[in-house]
Amino acid sequence: MKTHPLKEPSGTILEITRMSTEDGPGLRTTVFFKGCSLACLWCHNPESILFKPQVQWLGVGCLGCGICVRTCPENALALTDDGIVINRDRCTGCGLCAEECPSTAMELLGRKWQVRDLADELARDRAYFEQSGGGVTLSGGEAALQMDFSLALLKELRARGISTALDTCGQAPQAVFADLLPYVDLLLFDLKEIDPVKHKQFTGSGNEQILANAVYAAKFKSDHIYPQTIWVRTPVIPGMTDTADNIRGLGGFIRDHLAGAVSRWELCAFNNLCRDKYKRLGLVWPLADLALPEKKQMEALSEIARSVVAPDIVSWSGSTKLIKDENQRPDNKAKNILKPGCR
Amino acid sequence: MKQQTSANHAVKEPKGLSDRIRWLRDYYFKGTGRAWNNEFTAWTTATPWDVIYNEMTFYIVPETYMLLSTLGASYLQAARPVDLPVDFWSWPLVERRAWFVRDVIVNRVPQEILPGDLIAGARFNIQTSMCFTEKESKKWLKLVKGRGGAREKMKWFHDHGYGNAGATSGHLIPGHERVLKIGWKGVHAELLSRYNTLTEPERKGPKGAQLRAMVTASAMARDLAYKYKDLCAQMAQREKDPIRKQELSMMARNLSRVPWEPAANFWEAVQALWLNHMLVMTDENYPGAGVSFGRVDQYLYPYYHASIRDGMDRDFAKEILKCFWVHANTAYDAMIRNGNQGITAGFGQLITLSGLGAQGADMTNDLTYVILEVIDEMSPILEPKPNVRLHRHTPEALLDKVVEMIESSQGAPFLLNFDERSMAGMMLEARRADLEHLITPDNVHDYAPVGCLENTMVGNDRSGTVDNNLNLLKAVELALTGGRDLIPYTDPMTGKTEKPKQDGPKTGDATTFRTWEAFWQAYARQTRYIIQKCVDLYDVSESIRAQFFPTPYLSCLVQGCAKQARDITQGGAEISLTTLEAVTFATTVDSLLAVKYLVFDKKVCTMAELLAALQANWQGHEVLQAMAKNRAPKYGRDDDEADALALKVMELWCDETWKHRTKSTNRRFRPGMLSWNYWAGDGFILSASPDGRTKGQFLSNAICPSNGADIKGPTANANSVGKVLGGKAVEGPGDWDGYFNLLPNGASHTMTFNPSILRDPEHKAKFKAFLKGYARQGGTALQINMLDPDMLKDAQTHPQNYRHLLVRVTGYNAYFTTVGRELQNEVIERVSHNKF
Repeated sequence: MKTHPLKEPSGTILEITRMSTEDGPGLRTTVFFKGCSLACLWCHNPESILFKPQVQWLGVGCLGCGICVRTCPENALALTDDGIVINRDRCTGCGLCAEECPSTAMELLGRKWQVRDLADELARDRAYFEQSGGGVTLSGGEAALQMDFSLALLKELRARGISTALDTCGQAPQAVFADLLPYVDLLLFDLKEIDPVKHKQFTGSGNEQILANAVYAAKFKSDHIYPQTIWVRTPVIPGMTDTADNIRGLGGFIRDHLAGAVSRWELCAFNNLCRDKYKRLGLVWPLADLALPEKKQMEALSEIARSVVAPDIVSWSGSTKLIKDENQRPDNKAKNILKPGCR
Repeated sequence: MKQQTSANHAVKEPKGLSDRIRWLRDYYFKGTGRAWNNEFTAWTTATPWDVIYNEMTFYIVPETYMLLSTLGASYLQAARPVDLPVDFWSWPLVERRAWFVRDVIVNRVPQEILPGDLIAGARFNIQTSMCFTEKESKKWLKLVKGRGGAREKMKWFHDHGYGNAGATSGHLIPGHERVLKIGWKGVHAELLSRYNTLTEPERKGPKGAQLRAMVTASAMARDLAYKYKDLCAQMAQREKDPIRKQELSMMARNLSRVPWEPAANFWEAVQALWLNHMLVMTDENYPGAGVSFGRVDQYLYPYYHASIRDGMDRDFAKEILKCFWVHANTAYDAMIRNGNQGITAGFGQLITLSGLGAQGADMTNDLTYVILEVIDEMSPILEPKPNVRLHRHTPEALLDKVVEMIESSQGAPFLLNFDERSMAGMMLEARRADLEHLITPDNVHDYAPVGCLENTMVGNDRSGTVDNNLNLLKAVELALTGGRDLIPYTDPMTGKTEKPKQDGPKTGDATTFRTWEAFWQAYARQTRYIIQKCVDLYDVSESIRAQFFPTPYLSCLVQGCAKQARDITQGGAEISLTTLEAVTFATTVDSLLAVKYLVFDKKVCTMAELLAALQANWQGHEVLQAMAKNRAPKYGRDDDEADALALKVMELWCDETWKHRTKSTNRRFRPGMLSWNYWAGDGFILSASPDGRTKGQFLSNAICPSNGADIKGPTANANSVGKVLGGKAVEGPGDWDGYFNLLPNGASHTMTFNPSILRDPEHKAKFKAFLKGYARQGGTALQINMLDPDMLKDAQTHPQNYRHLLVRVTGYNAYFTTVGRELQNEVIERVSHNKF
């Protein structure tokens, strides 16, 4: 990677996904930031929660050569019958093991990027952005947490004429949004649960700041030259956020406080394809065996949503149970489609 | 694992077919169960020395190598004798051949009309005597099968991993537009005029013989049409159903006029086009491969327009075309009992739709849509293969139709050609091959692809688009060893092992190279060597064809042959090039990148260690192999450094290719990239490569990144392809409208998408935008697959449920269940690796 002599903020980035079709309009390159201000039970990007770099072992392709074990300066790795075991108390996320691994079985999650290097990388698909009305989406994790870097990146992208989107959970100081929003063409804002107590139970934080930021953003956008540039997304998690009350409550909030700024409200069905991600991070996922919502339910919740807000802004997406008997195409075979979106 | 059944997957079904077309289509798919078919019949002069099978046209089909002698002998065995005119043996060869082929197809092969068919012209696959005298026969035999002959040289070249080359039939676009306009009558008259201008000595020489043979051939279509006319008239008389009776009468009337007279309406034009086309296959004794139609929606449009104006129903136009579609598929009957990979794959009677016209105009018309509807309703069906030409200003309606068809047909039922990039390549060709008087800024839009995606001009161009297939990777091997095979060759039939001997130039002991540059220089020298070797090999079969296998009928259809009184096989076409198709491009680039990374940049191993690992087929060197595979840079990721080396590789072999001409026919070589199925088969021949590939694994396909290397997704993949073709002009006009293209022939690029990308209108719009982006950033031609691995695995287990499942690889279509297991596994692997 090239480095620039200028002092610029650097960011910790988990992944860059090109030709993403799921993170806003058109074809997009999505930048997944590392570090999140929430820790949702259903998170399907668990590797994005912690800010600090982590390593993980992917069994596929591991030769069992032990180079990583010998490389680790902290003696945090062991070669066992079950493959490489990572002692996470010892691992500092320095990534040396991943650098030395011949087969990419050891992977470093989270790399430092300089703004201009990253912008160069993101500009590679400019022709596709232009033809599709797409652009770059900052996602995560929570891009707003790496405020200086995000701001510099958004400014740089704007300066290059690339359309921008910010995909946020909304949990960040309002001042951060005040700084970022002028450089964000489209705001993808997650509203997960209207009840603050449940919200805290599901995500680790209450929703007060999130809702306040949503109102702030809507106000900002309403005065904007292109006002209807907020998309709200709601994860539909069976037994948690999938209640009629929640959808009705969120709908009421959108209608009463965000009207005029929101052009789309998408209900995103829970997905469980991230199960292995938890295993690889040495985590137990309480939702591992949770079934997908049924198509019927997604449609019913959509109807409820439509009864509260302007019906044409509501849609739903994601895999549902028993796909094969339904008209719904099995559209989530490829895991990465699910990476972005509602956390 | 959930149980997979066919019900889980929607295989495209034909739709909206009339009873007539459904019957014809179903009948065709009965295959060997049909009472009627178009298998080869063989015809002999009944001399003891007769030769029937021109095996050299199959030198580019390694699957047939074991069968060459058998096929030749079988055709002779089965051949029926033809009574010859008394003075037959006093004629020059080309006249003997012209007479013989015409006599067989007109007077010997039976004529039939299938129930309901609206187009006449059924049996056309024949194997005819080469009409040799005893002396010619002996000479041919020695040159082809003798020691050091064409077959032996070709076998050695192939067995040692260089690739293959041979003077191959088909693979051009005849001047159909002209013959529809002036009729064979006009062609015949022109030939007579030309003959009349010959001097007396010229008439006695080869020019006179050629023109007399072409005159004979120019009446073949007329004579055959008259036979069919009589048949239709008889059938009409007997027919009870008044509607069918009228159809048969109309067919008789059509055939009494065309193709001899100029076509006057759509039905006549399609009838004439079919007969004119099928007789090319008759003339060449070659069932269809690459005998392409060019821009049918353009040159048939005036007839379509006139007929619609005169009251023809749009649906009846489709009905006529659908009959034409069924006819085109019967080309496959030639080898219907030989369901092996490659042979049943798409033969490539390619049609071209839409595209640019003069002054940047888009040429899409109603007939474009009519034909797309025909394809949509007939699919899945293999022939004729369509290629839709897109450009930066393709109308939204056409793009919508294209995307809709991709969605409903498990991937595109057509190839996509990209005009600006393709035309930049044709302009480069004009400059590099001294053709600036024939390919100009004012006519370059008339180009059309042949076979799959091989761009040529139309009606005056034979550019041998599949004739030379060279594995660039062999040069890496020779650079590593200093000019010998890395591993000894063992003949699979005899089990005998040959000791590797010096073949390429002695570029030195690679283990003593101190710098990457030294290795590159060795590679460059070996590249020049293998190109020269391929050129020399090609000339062996090219010179034999020029001497022994004239095709006077085809020569009538290609401008330049009459004027020069020279057969097309002797270089008679105005544009007479031959194409060197580089195979293994990405494997070669990735191997060079790996040598640079492992040995010189990161010094992970020494050259000696790398050589040892390759000789051991990576066995016992798994860590090094993993580093080669996973740590070394790769082409296809939009990585500027890797792509810069890829471009250097491209420029090297392209520049070298342009320098060569055939000695026998003076055809200049031009570069292209089409790998047909060689990248699969030759993977078992070429030794392990520095990119981590073991012997037996597939090589890379055409201009595609190596299998699984394109981890940055489709846009990065396409960007890499665009860059290695020369990219875009930073300033100035480039070779065409800001574009460069080092490969005038074009480059096959296959991409497989997950069907989810087309799951709703919003995503369809995104996919459409991808195509528009590709037109700006990508290559010359794109094949889109839309597959899901479960479906393919299930198709392997239950092939009977998937008889009509089409997959599209390297720009040729194949029914998945009929391709070889290795290729099936390859397709599955690709799909499984998609990261979308």
